[in-house]
Amino acid sequence: MNSQAWLVAALVLFLPAAYAAENGYTLKATELKDKPFLDAVTVVTLPEKTPVEITTRQGAWMQIRTKDKQQGWVRMLSVRLGNPDQKPRGGGNLLSAIGIGNRPRTSTTATVTTGVRGFSEEDLAKAAPNAAELEKMKGFAATAADAQQLAAQAKLDRRQIAYFDADGKPLKEKN
Amino acid sequence: MSPARCVLVFLALSALVLGGCSQQQADAFMRNVNESGGLKQTLTNLREPTQAEEIEIGDGVAETLLGARPLLDDPELQRYVNAVGMWVARQSERPDLPWHFGVNDSDHINAFAAPGGYIIVTKGMMKQLRNEAELAGVLGHEVAHVTQKHHLKALRKAALINLLSAGAAAATAESRHAELVQKLSGPTKELYARGLDKADEFEADRMGVVLSARAGYDPYGLPAVLTTLASADPKDNFLTLLTKTHPLPQARLDTLAPGLATVESANGPQNMTRFQQYTRKLQLTSR
Repeated sequence: MNSQAWLVAALVLFLPAAYAAENGYTLKATELKDKPFLDAVTVVTLPEKTPVEITTRQGAWMQIRTKDKQQGWVRMLSVRLGNPDQKPRGGGNLLSAIGIGNRPRTSTTATVTTGVRGFSEEDLAKAAPNAAELEKMKGFAATAADAQQLAAQAKLDRRQIAYFDADGKPLKEKN
Repeated sequence: MSPARCVLVFLALSALVLGGCSQQQADAFMRNVNESGGLKQTLTNLREPTQAEEIEIGDGVAETLLGARPLLDDPELQRYVNAVGMWVARQSERPDLPWHFGVNDSDHINAFAAPGGYIIVTKGMMKQLRNEAELAGVLGHEVAHVTQKHHLKALRKAALINLLSAGAAAATAESRHAELVQKLSGPTKELYARGLDKADEFEADRMGVVLSARAGYDPYGLPAVLTTLASADPKDNFLTLLTKTHPLPQARLDTLAPGLATVESANGPQNMTRFQQYTRKLQLTSR
């Protein structure tokens, strides 16, 4: 195995770990719970802008750790990603700008905006219809059986859940 | 003008006036009348398109969107996204549409739906996602745009266009389709640069959450994506079109919040491992 292959192998091995850590901070004073339930015991109330390290996400909850080694669960919507003291940056690498963990990226240098593959308003404005590309897209279509198989592999169970309106009230029927 | 025709004109103009149409729309309407061989023909064309017609309109829109950026060359990922998308779409009220999903080769962060079941997610968006539940949430949002015919309605409203009469006089099916695509190109570019009504976006968020929950996923996938986007600078170059065409992520989260309580107890997997397996190649590419 040459050195390049080792590098690829190393990157692949470290992927799951790299995904695990994300940094964030509390948007407002937030209760830190010992379990991901609303009626769970409150460990402490974290003040606004407490930096947190996000280790797990589960439904409406994030499992977090603070610098003082306090651990527990907070509501996802009470957390903002990134660093509380740093304003989000524009025009560059969004992931690093908002401080999403250490997601693997091959390019960590300053943003180069030339040669960026875009879908900007300008790209849209000058687009010529591409029928061949649409045919290609159709070639990747999944059947209902493919979808069923994908769901079964991951034990995804169909559920009956009603749509809800803007007030959060369940809607009887849609369409 | 025959009395019957007089009545028809009167009714049509009343409908336009009562409908609160603009001078521009009225002009477009009258231009249509002249171009399409009379009022009766125009009114026929303003009827609700059939499903086959909707799909053909979607073909034209998708051709233009793919003309802006082609698909990403990653067949395994394309098939995976199609399977996830189809599973989510099967939970909708239009499970039997010919649903097609694609990842395009764009670094911008966005996703698009076209009438008839065409959905395109950018590579840039894929790279923001952590797991399959988040993907299902994004696809659910786009599926809802299709089932609610948001783009179809907007396209028809924009120009009071007689899309259905496009190429009626053309000799072959191909030339008829080509004429339709050509006719759609302008309104498509205009609509996808301007965006839908905010109310449509909020509705798609609400329905997208429910669709991914019905599909068995952790229903907080879409909210998680919105918190990612809310943490970014809306002036980021790669977010400009998304920011221009959608309400700000925080407003979307605030609007969605009351309904999230109804799906709070619907736990489900996020499928992070499978998602990472299919997006590994993608994650290793630079922006």
